[in-house]
Amino acid sequence: MTTTPHYVIIGSGSAGFGAAKTLRTGDADCRITMVTMDSLPFYNRYNLPQVFHGRHDWRDLMDVPPAQYAELGIELRRRSRVVDVDGAQRFVSLAHQEHVAYDRLLVCAGGRGYLPENLTEYFGLMHGFGSFEAAMRLHKDLPKGGTAIMIGGDMTGIDLAMTLLETGYNVTLITTSQTFWPHRVTTQERDRLLAALEAAGMKVLKDTRAVGVSRENSGKPAACVTLEDGTEVRGDVVMPFCGLASSVEFMLRADVDIERGLLVTPELHTSNETIWAAGDVCQIWHDQEKAYKFFHGWKNVRVMGELAARNMLGANEIFDVNIEDRIDVDADGKISSTFWIH
Amino acid sequence: MNERVQPVYLEEKLEEIRADGHLEYRSKSLPTWCPGCGYFSMVEGLTTALKRLEIDSKDTVVVSGIGCASRFPFFVNTYGFHTLHGRVLPVATGVKIGNDALTVVAVGGDGDAFAIGGGHIPHAARRNVNLTYLVFDNGIYGLTKGQTSPTSALGFKTSSTPYENRDAPLHPLMMLLSYGASWVGQAYAGRQHHLADMITQAVSHQGFSFLRVLSPCVTFDKTNNTYANLNTTVRDLPDDHDNSNLMAAMNQASRDDHPALGLYYKEDRETLEQVMKATASRSVKTGTGRADKQ
Amino acid sequence: MIKSNDTDIQIAICGSAGDGTIASGDIMKRAAAAMGFNVIAFDVYPPEIRGFGKCISRIRISSKQTYSLKQESDVLVSLNDSHAIPHAAEVRDFGVVIYDDNLVARVAEGGHISAHIDAAQIPYGFSIRQISEQATNSSRSRNVVILGCLAGLFDLSAENFHDIIAKKFATKAQSVIDDNTKAFDAGLKAGRTVFRLDDIKVRAGKIKSNGAEAVMMTGNGAVVRGFLESEIESYFGYPITPATSIMERLAVEMPPRGGKFLQTEDEISAIAATIGAAYTGSRAATATSGPGLALMAEMIGLGVMAEVPSVVVVSQRGGPSTGLPTKTEQSDLNLAVFGGSGDAQRIVLAPTNVEGCYRCAGMAFDIAEIYQTPVILLIDLYLSNRYETVVPADAGTYTPKPRPQINLEGGENYKRFEMTKNHISPRALPGQPGLMYTATGLEHNEQGRPNDDAHMDMSIKRHEKLKGAVHYPGLNVSKRFGDKGKVDVGILGWGSTFGEILETMYQAQAEGISCSAMKVVMLSPLPLQSIEDFFDDCREVLIPELNYEGQFAGLVCGALGRPVTRLSRATGSPMVVREILDEVRRLSGREPAPVQAVGAMGARS
Ligand SMILES: Cc1cc2nc3c(=O)[nH]c(=O)nc-3n(C[C@H](O)[C@H](O)[C@H](O)COP(=O)(O)OP(=O)(O)OC[C@H]3O[C@@H](n4cnc5c(N)ncnc54)[C@H](O)[C@@H]3O)c2cc1C
Ligand SMILES: Cc1ncc(C[n+]2csc(CCOP(=O)(O)OP(=O)(O)O)c2C)c(N)n1
Ligand code: SF4
Ligand SMILES: [Mg+2]
Repeated sequence: MTTTPHYVIIGSGSAGFGAAKTLRTGDADCRITMVTMDSLPFYNRYNLPQVFHGRHDWRDLMDVPPAQYAELGIELRRRSRVVDVDGAQRFVSLAHQEHVAYDRLLVCAGGRGYLPENLTEYFGLMHGFGSFEAAMRLHKDLPKGGTAIMIGGDMTGIDLAMTLLETGYNVTLITTSQTFWPHRVTTQERDRLLAALEAAGMKVLKDTRAVGVSRENSGKPAACVTLEDGTEVRGDVVMPFCGLASSVEFMLRADVDIERGLLVTPELHTSNETIWAAGDVCQIWHDQEKAYKFFHGWKNVRVMGELAARNMLGANEIFDVNIEDRIDVDADGKISSTFWIH
Repeated sequence: MNERVQPVYLEEKLEEIRADGHLEYRSKSLPTWCPGCGYFSMVEGLTTALKRLEIDSKDTVVVSGIGCASRFPFFVNTYGFHTLHGRVLPVATGVKIGNDALTVVAVGGDGDAFAIGGGHIPHAARRNVNLTYLVFDNGIYGLTKGQTSPTSALGFKTSSTPYENRDAPLHPLMMLLSYGASWVGQAYAGRQHHLADMITQAVSHQGFSFLRVLSPCVTFDKTNNTYANLNTTVRDLPDDHDNSNLMAAMNQASRDDHPALGLYYKEDRETLEQVMKATASRSVKTGTGRADKQ
Repeated sequence: MIKSNDTDIQIAICGSAGDGTIASGDIMKRAAAAMGFNVIAFDVYPPEIRGFGKCISRIRISSKQTYSLKQESDVLVSLNDSHAIPHAAEVRDFGVVIYDDNLVARVAEGGHISAHIDAAQIPYGFSIRQISEQATNSSRSRNVVILGCLAGLFDLSAENFHDIIAKKFATKAQSVIDDNTKAFDAGLKAGRTVFRLDDIKVRAGKIKSNGAEAVMMTGNGAVVRGFLESEIESYFGYPITPATSIMERLAVEMPPRGGKFLQTEDEISAIAATIGAAYTGSRAATATSGPGLALMAEMIGLGVMAEVPSVVVVSQRGGPSTGLPTKTEQSDLNLAVFGGSGDAQRIVLAPTNVEGCYRCAGMAFDIAEIYQTPVILLIDLYLSNRYETVVPADAGTYTPKPRPQINLEGGENYKRFEMTKNHISPRALPGQPGLMYTATGLEHNEQGRPNDDAHMDMSIKRHEKLKGAVHYPGLNVSKRFGDKGKVDVGILGWGSTFGEILETMYQAQAEGISCSAMKVVMLSPLPLQSIEDFFDDCREVLIPELNYEGQFAGLVCGALGRPVTRLSRATGSPMVVREILDEVRRLSGREPAPVQAVGAMGARS
């Protein structure tokens, strides 16, 4: 057995990568393994709309060159899905039948696009936007000047929608309660924001609900969303943007508390002594509200990753949960958020 | 003869040869062996055999190794290949494979055969290459001037065994029998006519024929394989010897004290050339080969 | 020279002997050749016969002529992670690693190749075993599934693969062909659905211009083909790596053509029988490696002395003795050129690529017969076993030249070793009436009779007669490449190393270094004039070769007395272009580029 501790990080997003760097800064000798389902090394997901600005080579999206993993001594395990974590024996099981033992585990598995219950059966007919691969697929399937139908319209979707409008595409938005997620907006704010979107060229369908999706391969445009009143909305692609569901299914045997996400203290410590969590995957205890809360957005997540890493190394820092949740639209119709930073 | 001493040739011998009528097989060069050397009878024996079998000298190749005995090709008027010490059989095998219309006779001494060349004999024998191997066994290294050989008798003092030879001699006939030679015989240089008969039989045999010829080295062996000794010790194979019986042949071959002359064993078996022809016709039927399959 | 829009990818397939790794590589290279690409490939087998040792098949597929394998592969396919893991580092940045990500048995931590893929490399996981099982009810076709994956990924013609699979399994039951085709198609489907992140480009191959379809051959296969086309009649051999496959192939090919094939009891017997058969006029050859050549040395001397033509293929491996039996080396040059007793000059040909093996083998019998001497074809393991696409020669190119008839009245005065103007004497064959003579290793006079006094004259004859061989038509015993006229650096090379030398030279030229390369194919006698001209043109001459002593450099220096820089390497592996290039840069007056730290691109445990 080595005396240097082995830190395993699940996830290579902002939280995971930030944590890895922080771990290395704090301990030059420790072993760091990062396990991820991604095919690519770390890149900032918020840059993905850039593919519509012609950045089609994934290397253009890299914030850091791949060589940095070697420089930082991070063992990167890509395309490796964690299927189980044994919190007692302290190892993670990978789908390809490998066990990786850890001394301390940090879960930064983020979340997957959430799909409203009634639409799950249409999953295969819709386009996601969570990864470079998905972004390139969308770029390929959306003809120039074509129309994307968005169901929901969370901040990720709004972000993409703005880019699409800028680059000559059309966007039809079917609103849901998740529109502007993760921001919680009042009806008043919401109408103002939607008006701004319409002003920017978006077609907004309010007070209705998508009940079905279909695709025809003859005639264009191919995609069709059926609304509750039976009317059909046509476009080239259909994309759900209804917020995130945390990726926690592999943590069920890990001996940690789970609600929708992994429940952590403000120190980002789970209920298991050797497991921490950060990023979109976790819900952090908010003492004033007496509830576990998600804190989404790139900036929050990055702070969490670094903080969790420091605490794993022995610090005792607290994540400041008093984050202002405000979304605004200025005179020019530009939308800004207090934590959804670009 | 040895590597320095100049050859001597007996004029009477020449007259004898000319009178014999098979001069066509004799080379213009006269043998360079020491007067009295047993090897003279070999030239006589082979040329007589070729004459009897009406084998054209142009269709005969005599292959030899190195040694006094191996000088042989120069003294017959056939094609000849005087090769390397110990390598007569593989070269002769190549000659036969190269052109199986040729009559191939391999010759060499006991050292050439059983010392340096010992590794090749079993393979020529078991493959049943259709050639005749005449081993001139004088129990000594003649050409290098009298060192012990694998068939030297126990107790023999030679220049390399000044305190007597203590290495047990080989039993060439037993070896060849066990190697699977399909024709095994023994002759003696002192019995010219029998020798010629044996060579004739050996050459006419289809397959690998091995004839050991006991032959005195008059220069370097004054005590063992001398004419005087051999004249008294050699005997004929018993009249009732069954030369198709391998065990009977073995039994006779073990009697080195009284070497028996004659045909010990004879067997008709597919020769290497026949095997190759059969393989060729089988391969035409089944062959799949293409050069670029590598 | 490869340009950026040419196809030039190197695929390495790695697995264990039981995985069908080499078979997989074999289909891959044949399919690529059928697509019209130039292919160079090299398989590495385990030294052990039993068990499941590592096999790796490296295949370079290019739309342009290439000369050696690349140092880095573009694609690594793992059929066995524990074997493939050490090779992950050979994949270039943004190249691809393909592996099974759906294993059935537990692997130890770090035992899966995904743990060893650098951040700059692209991992493509497939359920290789599962795809095979679903397509054919057996996991045995994993090696073909991965070919489907490759074809799907890089858009290679499935038709060519189907074709080669059918040919490869032609002698097996139809169900074998069907299953493998199904496995391929299943892999193809999987390969096509992959979202590609690599930057590998494959454009359609170019069919060779002269109409003939290029054929995939190994160096040994090319030797066999050359021998067969030049109508070899007898072959004698004794097994030894890396020459064995020549023997094994001829054992199949010769009998139906009426040729005589014999496995002898040792190499002495092999060369003896070769010379025996050749003495009768048969076109006879043998093949061996260094240890066998050592045993043959005395007999080759006899061939020189008795002026018997024969052909000896020597595929070098590491030595001395059993040395590095499965590794490559160029250290039998001295033995090939000088080995044996006495002054025994023979002809030694050292082809530099597979095409050269084919050409030299095709001409070897004629050369041996014309000059009445042993011809040694000196290759090495790297050349013996590597695959290249070769365009077959036009029919009849290597048909034997007619033997000169001996014109003698009565034959009484026939002199087998007659002194003639070109020092070549009329050779009679057994069976020809009136020309009987005895060939001998003893020094002899013109009639072939033993005669010590003739030694000086006969030595002159035997050496002088070979001088003309350097002009043998169509053989190109030396050839210069690259910049013409005066250059800063000239790289002089021989044998398999010349591929790396050419690659180096083109890279050096691209860097603006004035540079030439010259290959020497005939090592004995040396084409001294052209080597001398090359020295005159080059400010510095570099000789890279795969041996410790610098044997070729020694040979050239000894002959010319001119200074050279030696780059002698005895590592058991082919020359590294980078090393030669650094030397060229240094000699040209440039600083060598900083050495790239190995593995700098990734953390590896
Ligand atoms: C398209 C897009 C645009 C966005 N734009 C913005 C923006 O403009 N501003 C902003 O502030 N925020 C933005 N966000 C949100 C922000 O990026 C996220 O909050 C942040 O990426 C979350 O980081 P994370 O590290 O927690 O998880 P993620 O980045 O989601 O990473 C999760 C990681 O976990 C891995 N993983 C998951 N499950 C497993 C498993 N079982 N086994 C192994 N690995 C697993 C994944 O492979 C992945 O590497 C955007 C998000 C998206 C998708
Ligand atoms: C490789 C080799 N080793 C040694 C010799 C020297 N040599 C020549 S003949 C001979 C022995 C000959 O004895 P044998 O074969 O019995 O023939 P003999 O002279 O008795 O007829 C030897 C050792 C040689 N010519 N070649
Ligand atoms: S064997 Fe003896 S007798 Fe015969 S030639 Fe040789 S040395 Fe003379
Ligand atoms: Mg003797």
